Amino acid sequence: MTTGKYFGKSVLRLEDKNMLTGNVKYMDDIEIPGQLHAAFLRSDYAHARILKIDVSEALKRPGVVAIYTAEDFGDFWKPGPLLVPPPTAIDGSQFNARTLVPIAKDKIRYSGEVLAVVIAESRYIAEDAFDDIIIDVDPLPAVVDLEKAWEDTSVLVHDDLPSNMAALVKQEVGSYEEAKKKADVVVSRRMLIEHVAGAAMENRGFIASWDDQNQVMTIWANTQSPLTIRGSVARALNLAESQVHVITPFIGGGFGPKVMTSLSDDVLLPWISLKLKRPIKWMEDRRENFLATTSERDQVHHCEIVLKKDGTILGFKDVFYHNTGAYDSYGMTVPLNTQTHTISNYRVPNFYSEIRMVFTNQMVVTPVRGAGRSEGVFAMERMLDFAAKELGISPVEIRLKNLLKAEELPLNTGVIGQDFVVNILDSGDYLGNYQKCLAEIDYDKFRKEIQPKARAEGKRMGIGMVAFTEGTAVGPYEGCKITVSTSGKVTMATGYSTQGQAHYTVFAQIIADQLNVKIEDVRVVTGDTNLFAWGAGTFASRGAALVGAAAYLAAQKVRAKIFSTASKKLEVPEEEIELCEGSVCVKGQPETSIPLGMLASLANPMRGVVEPGVEPGLEATAYYGPPHGSTGSGAMGVIVSIDEETNKPTIERMVMVDDCGTVINPLVVEGQLQGGISMGIGNTLYERLVYDENGQLLTASFMDYLMPLATDMPEKLEIIHNHAESSLKVNPLGIKGVGEAGAIPPGPAIVQAIEDAFGVAGFEILETNLSPSQIYEYLKKAAK
Amino acid sequence: MKVEGDHLFKAPREVVFEMFNDPDALGAAVPGMQKMVKIDESHYEAVLGIRVGPVSANFSGTLALTDVVPPESVTLIVEGKGGAGFVKGVGYVKFEDLGDQTTLLKYTGEANIGGTLASVGQRMIDSVAKSMFKTVFEKLDKILEERWQKS
Repeated sequence: MTTGKYFGKSVLRLEDKNMLTGNVKYMDDIEIPGQLHAAFLRSDYAHARILKIDVSEALKRPGVVAIYTAEDFGDFWKPGPLLVPPPTAIDGSQFNARTLVPIAKDKIRYSGEVLAVVIAESRYIAEDAFDDIIIDVDPLPAVVDLEKAWEDTSVLVHDDLPSNMAALVKQEVGSYEEAKKKADVVVSRRMLIEHVAGAAMENRGFIASWDDQNQVMTIWANTQSPLTIRGSVARALNLAESQVHVITPFIGGGFGPKVMTSLSDDVLLPWISLKLKRPIKWMEDRRENFLATTSERDQVHHCEIVLKKDGTILGFKDVFYHNTGAYDSYGMTVPLNTQTHTISNYRVPNFYSEIRMVFTNQMVVTPVRGAGRSEGVFAMERMLDFAAKELGISPVEIRLKNLLKAEELPLNTGVIGQDFVVNILDSGDYLGNYQKCLAEIDYDKFRKEIQPKARAEGKRMGIGMVAFTEGTAVGPYEGCKITVSTSGKVTMATGYSTQGQAHYTVFAQIIADQLNVKIEDVRVVTGDTNLFAWGAGTFASRGAALVGAAAYLAAQKVRAKIFSTASKKLEVPEEEIELCEGSVCVKGQPETSIPLGMLASLANPMRGVVEPGVEPGLEATAYYGPPHGSTGSGAMGVIVSIDEETNKPTIERMVMVDDCGTVINPLVVEGQLQGGISMGIGNTLYERLVYDENGQLLTASFMDYLMPLATDMPEKLEIIHNHAESSLKVNPLGIKGVGEAGAIPPGPAIVQAIEDAFGVAGFEILETNLSPSQIYEYLKKAAK
Repeated sequence: MKVEGDHLFKAPREVVFEMFNDPDALGAAVPGMQKMVKIDESHYEAVLGIRVGPVSANFSGTLALTDVVPPESVTLIVEGKGGAGFVKGVGYVKFEDLGDQTTLLKYTGEANIGGTLASVGQRMIDSVAKSMFKTVFEKLDKILEERWQKS
């Protein structure tokens, strides 16, 4: 589809007016008459056996209604479902499922795990009651270090397993060892990718309200997975799915962790509401969010790259440890993304990758924006930098030599991904992206003029130039229903929930053009399970591509219905009818027309007969599921300067070239990329979750967990859409995802630029999280 | 968390050592101490209010004295828990007779801290611990002065 009246245009976000003027309801704005409040008493210990929990004193506190420990849930207590199946598609893969328990029983496995739920008239009373609960535990040593935990079986997170291995997955393409025999150069390094939080502005929240008369459980949750919750609550309470109604209010950011379900709130609170026949509300506080809502990254990579003298890659080997936390309910989405993205934009004929997924006494790991892709891209980009140094060529030259060209795609990489399908690099011009980025940032000018001049003045300035891909738009499917109402307004409902991504605008753009109505007349409803009850959830940058395609297909069905209904009513052939704005009219006779609202009424006759096969109303549902994901691609160039006294890097200039296929709304794409870039900068220079050797999280507030500020964005940021022709053919609208792209390349680009700024032999950065004092430590190491 | 330091008491070693075995003296010297009761020769029960930055809570626990070598050294084992987490620590205290009616106390120790105290208070714990030691020694100096002069 080409540009339309709205499609492809920078339409201002329809939702912003209400959001910015405080006229929308977020989770904590929702109050249900008669509601009680829940508070979770969480473990201070990272690893311990529970000897006794005595709540008898706490129950005496006025205002406390009930307190539950694991024992009180009886048979209802059980480990949660495996939310993502094990990777059986990969030969020889081993996966030990130990899924999240809703409340600790017998054993505590991470600091922050829930020990008791207090239900009280107010949250204050509930939290005060914590002081009266006596907890007797037998502390155990904590499993924290990934590499050590893999070997050492003396302390086990799960006693019934022989080791702390959560999974072992090996994938090989070609033969790495054969390639190594032929290589001129072998470079190996150990690198760390630090643990970071999703840190959405709005914490999680949950309300469960059982209606005993209608036998319906209504749930409000700021989740990325309303339909998963509907299914799991129905199963757990032995209800039909139609008896569970999940509503997502406006949500202040998702970034991944809100996709997680089977947590204490979504499992226990519906049961308690059913038991007490009262609505139960819980709002997470920031410390709970840091301690117990999922997070990501935290990998240790042992990489080896083998090349010919001229810089041609012969093979790449990566054995990496991945921290899954105390449980592995979310399967292997993150490390599989890492595995596919390590070789996703270069010609790597021989590849060996081994995932060693480790149980630790830490919070559970699930995707956070970037979701494993950042790690794979970091590993490959860094190794290319080290190889270039070894070969005495520039980081740019080694990339130009090995980047895939447009004519080499589609390419089957042979590596199975998070969707359990072999990764297909479907389309794009990876080399072209990189060359465009070099030209835009004027790499040669920086090398020949800017950097020498800065150095002559005693200033440290460096440049980093990397490439990346973003696997997006994976299946299985999403869908939507479009209805033209008798008022002429159009409603689109999808199960895909929204955390701020402009769904209300971009889906309306697609529909408004197809039905030729004003965009203001298209109302998009997301994440209300009574209005649309099918779909997988908001993840993997798949909204625009999958729901967008479904919206396009459903709109075409509605359009066809409009034409067939109007043809009968106007008594003219369909070919002679066209859509005028908000109505259907006869070509060349705009005065002979029927408003869409009236047509909707006519499509729902109250008397008479309808022809067989004709469905009432101007309404249609469509689904879209791609055969495989579509891979976005791009390149990033960064120029940094380093403060001489403090070593603090400043990003002077950043150029990002991105190919996300067809753009529905350039403004929204730019916003997504800016947000992603901010997150990538935070992950590289500021954010880090730190656990001590006892499994205590030392960074559970924004005082210690440093978020990037608006002032940390590049002084000058240029975003360039560079769509390869082939990218426009991937799905009905030629759309690739873009939600995570911005978060992926800043890490390797910034560290390459920092190294370049110092230009000190032996100065090598081997991790993602770089504070000025860590830069200083690396410099000290280089000086030795 | 590791702690290390020393303090010079202006009294002979026996007197200083004796003071360290007196729950009333210790109880009075520790800021925030609400209760300190001797259970037996080498065990005390205590309730202590602690404030570390934004975290403030009562801790209740035990203090055990082991490896007591009068008047030279003692090992202290502290275990406490409360609404803001837990502390488990061991401290090695040595009393050096400097020969001029003064005693040099040297201590080293290690504490394992968990819960809110660690996750939110971690940044301030070192400085809070330092200032607590300072206050304790200042108070003990005073108590010692009174006792020493009386005797």
